[in-house]
Amino acid sequence: MTVHNIRHGDASDGAFAEAVGGRLSRVDGPAKITGAAKYAVEQQLEGLAYAVLVESTIASGKVRAIDTKAAKAAPGVLQVLTPDTIISLKTAADWFGTPPPDKPYCPLARDITFSGQHVAAVVAETFEQAVAAAALVKVSYDETPSIVDLSDGKAGDGIPIDAMTKEWGDAQGAFASAPVRICAAYNTPREYQAPMEPHGLIARWEGDRLTVWEPSQWLDGMARTYAEWFDVPFENVRLVSPYIGGGFGSKALALSHGAVAACAAKMLGRPVRLVMTRPQTFTGYGGRAATRQTVTIGADAQGNIQSIVHRGVNETSIDGMWVEPLGSVTSIMYATPNFSSKQNVVRVNSVVPGAMRAPGENPSAFGIESAIDELAYEVGIDPLEIRLRNYAEQDPHAKKAWSTRQLREAFAAGAERFGWSRRSPEPRSMRDGNQLIGWGVAAGTYPVRRAYGEAIVRILADGSVEVESSSIDMGQGTYTILAQTAAETLGVPADDVVVKLGDSRFPRAGVTGGSRLAGVMTGAVYKAATSALDQLVGLAISDPRSPFHTLQANTLVVANGRIASPRGDGPDVSIAELLKSVGRDHIEATGDTMPENSTPEERYKNYTTIAMALPHTEGDYSRHSWCAHFIEVRVDEDFGTVRVSRVVSALDSGRLYNPKLAESQWKGGIIMGIGQALLEEGIVDRRHGRIVNNNLADYLVPTNADIPDIEVISVGIPDLHSSVLGGKGVGELAIVGVAPAIANAVFHATGKRVRDLPITLEKLI
Amino acid sequence: MTKTTIPVHLDINGRHHDLQLEPRVTLLDALRDRLGLTGTKKGCDHGQCGACTVHVDGERVLACLTLAAQVEGRTITTIEGLAREGEMHPVQAAFLEQDAFQCGYCTPGQIMSAVACIREGHAGSDDEIREYMAGNLCRCGAYPHIVAAIRQAALEVQS
Repeated sequence: MTVHNIRHGDASDGAFAEAVGGRLSRVDGPAKITGAAKYAVEQQLEGLAYAVLVESTIASGKVRAIDTKAAKAAPGVLQVLTPDTIISLKTAADWFGTPPPDKPYCPLARDITFSGQHVAAVVAETFEQAVAAAALVKVSYDETPSIVDLSDGKAGDGIPIDAMTKEWGDAQGAFASAPVRICAAYNTPREYQAPMEPHGLIARWEGDRLTVWEPSQWLDGMARTYAEWFDVPFENVRLVSPYIGGGFGSKALALSHGAVAACAAKMLGRPVRLVMTRPQTFTGYGGRAATRQTVTIGADAQGNIQSIVHRGVNETSIDGMWVEPLGSVTSIMYATPNFSSKQNVVRVNSVVPGAMRAPGENPSAFGIESAIDELAYEVGIDPLEIRLRNYAEQDPHAKKAWSTRQLREAFAAGAERFGWSRRSPEPRSMRDGNQLIGWGVAAGTYPVRRAYGEAIVRILADGSVEVESSSIDMGQGTYTILAQTAAETLGVPADDVVVKLGDSRFPRAGVTGGSRLAGVMTGAVYKAATSALDQLVGLAISDPRSPFHTLQANTLVVANGRIASPRGDGPDVSIAELLKSVGRDHIEATGDTMPENSTPEERYKNYTTIAMALPHTEGDYSRHSWCAHFIEVRVDEDFGTVRVSRVVSALDSGRLYNPKLAESQWKGGIIMGIGQALLEEGIVDRRHGRIVNNNLADYLVPTNADIPDIEVISVGIPDLHSSVLGGKGVGELAIVGVAPAIANAVFHATGKRVRDLPITLEKLI
Repeated sequence: MTKTTIPVHLDINGRHHDLQLEPRVTLLDALRDRLGLTGTKKGCDHGQCGACTVHVDGERVLACLTLAAQVEGRTITTIEGLAREGEMHPVQAAFLEQDAFQCGYCTPGQIMSAVACIREGHAGSDDEIREYMAGNLCRCGAYPHIVAAIRQAALEVQS
């Protein structure tokens, strides 16, 4: 019985705000603008104690001794934890679910592999007492030489990562015989997610049950890690994360500070709150790894690419492994008959790097999108024209058709709106008084990652609807789009839908990362709501007590919370009235995006690891979102200062579930890209391997005064190969290509090619 | 509590609070940890991000750089006290309408700063708004929408 068909339209197909595709304002907005939204560590608990971390001040060596006497004697101190006094944990599996080595895990370090590693923690009655006492902990070290970063002489060439190798044709041979050849090296520094809400948590034990209030991009994955650390059943750990103050990739995994807090709570028998200081957030988890790339392109005189040879390196930690896939955009953006990409990782004394907005694609695009711009000048072709000339009609690597690729449309729409045709091609040929003006273009892409999620949809006695899922909302708009999905599918006003997220007791969800959540969860809610609606209409038709029983209708229509026959004859009753008449106090249905007949073990693995995620090239298609950025910069000729003065970006994220919120996310990605291009850089002290600028005054993120008005244009069409409702990824996409568009604009303005981010004034004068 | 505490009397959002605090307790920690007024956020604790912006005698102040004992006898307004009789302040309404936030963590500070920015007469143009809101960081990148919201609210407040 089909009772309701969802409409699939273009990106702006929401006829009214409450439907999928409509511009409904954030449903969690009122709580956030009045201060009522309680973030994880803001829970008010009886008996709460406060923990503060003590971190290593060397980057390599051993802790010789920790003198805790003064700290223990300080007022209010309850506990001083060191590697010798903290309880022993088990090693947890990584995020792939790889079985861990059977050895104990200690979240406080004796062997130091980076500056800022947790070595001790102080727990006290108040936050102030814990801060004061932590300063009294004296740690002595036996320091050994460290490898501070990629440019350290001791760093070496690193470890080849064979899984990153992509090759077809004869790339070296074709390059050698190409009439036009360019070769250049592109570097990106360490960058930091810097979410406004610092990482932290409250941990509380009740017997062998642990509740953790912690900002989380992945409740089920983090709950699994805590359960494995403490060797308790998965069901005994509850993660609560109602609102998340920004993550950008950094809040997906349970980290050592979480283990410290949970140990302290267990040892003390009291709930413990631990929040990192802002400086600690620069070493308590990894930002984006510093990268180095070499891109060589061989082309004919008309700019048709014949070969691309790409070599990449990213840093990782001494004992951890992070691979930032640097060939991800290089291998798919342009059609080329010959291609070679290889990558090494180099161990340095740093915290293990982590995911930051579009890991891989972001630095990859900086390389290839700068290099193609260099090729355009080399052969004397407009930078937009050379991109169209080398347009990839299918995935050059997977050799599969694109599911959808509206990149040509993005170039056209962006260029038209930006006024690209009025661009004067020569560098330094456009100016306004003392300001050199440059116009740059670059493309971006991000794969459609797909995983699994489940949701419960409940129609309650009063006709209102509840949606529950352990997925989360860190600002992308999950609360809102799931309310829209349930409202449209069930035929009720969005105001009547309450979406509950951020509690691992709810139906499960995989990681919120890689722009996969919206597509997964709208699909799960759509299925659950469809099933609930089937039940509702089934009851209305078949229950002898229903006012529709005598109508002998095949189906009924539910709209605006009321049920009626499609012909308009017969009764017209509210959902609440129908439920009352048939004697039901609620209807409930679960929906998920899992393959049918999945076993409980498979379900557990799907939600608590990323091992089961579907490849974006699964089946017949290659699935990606796409974008084109057109950016104007103004460079002060005397001082070399660069300001971004205009941005027009056209983006293909498929169907948008809520354009108002998607536009916000796109603009946010572009703004983070402006920061990456012009401001952001972790600076390492070469003596002790410390991050010197580990705070928000010295690690510069964009401020309001750095950002012009930004125009975004949706050129997407529904892509049903990518998700149930036709959307592709939104959040990661828009940062990809921003930095090269700015670097290209700076070249157009000044004639200087900066291949080393960020583009600061000393590189221009 | 140790013997090192002092009585502190605070007037917050029209309500009087008697607290017993160590002199080193900041206004921010007093609000969040002692009074449960967690709408005011801690982003850096060093006056670098603006998330803790509140009003003291109508002027914007960073609560993390202000000791609670410093503001005795002065009038403190936090995000929880901005709405009047259940009616959202025009800046709050404009933030919702313009989608001037995503994660919401910097938002209370942005709104308190924005209300003061308009009151100071610093919302005359988009560039002026950008300059006078530059002390409130937003990592989600809601800046263009924050500017639009303040522009809209300023018209409403001034009329």
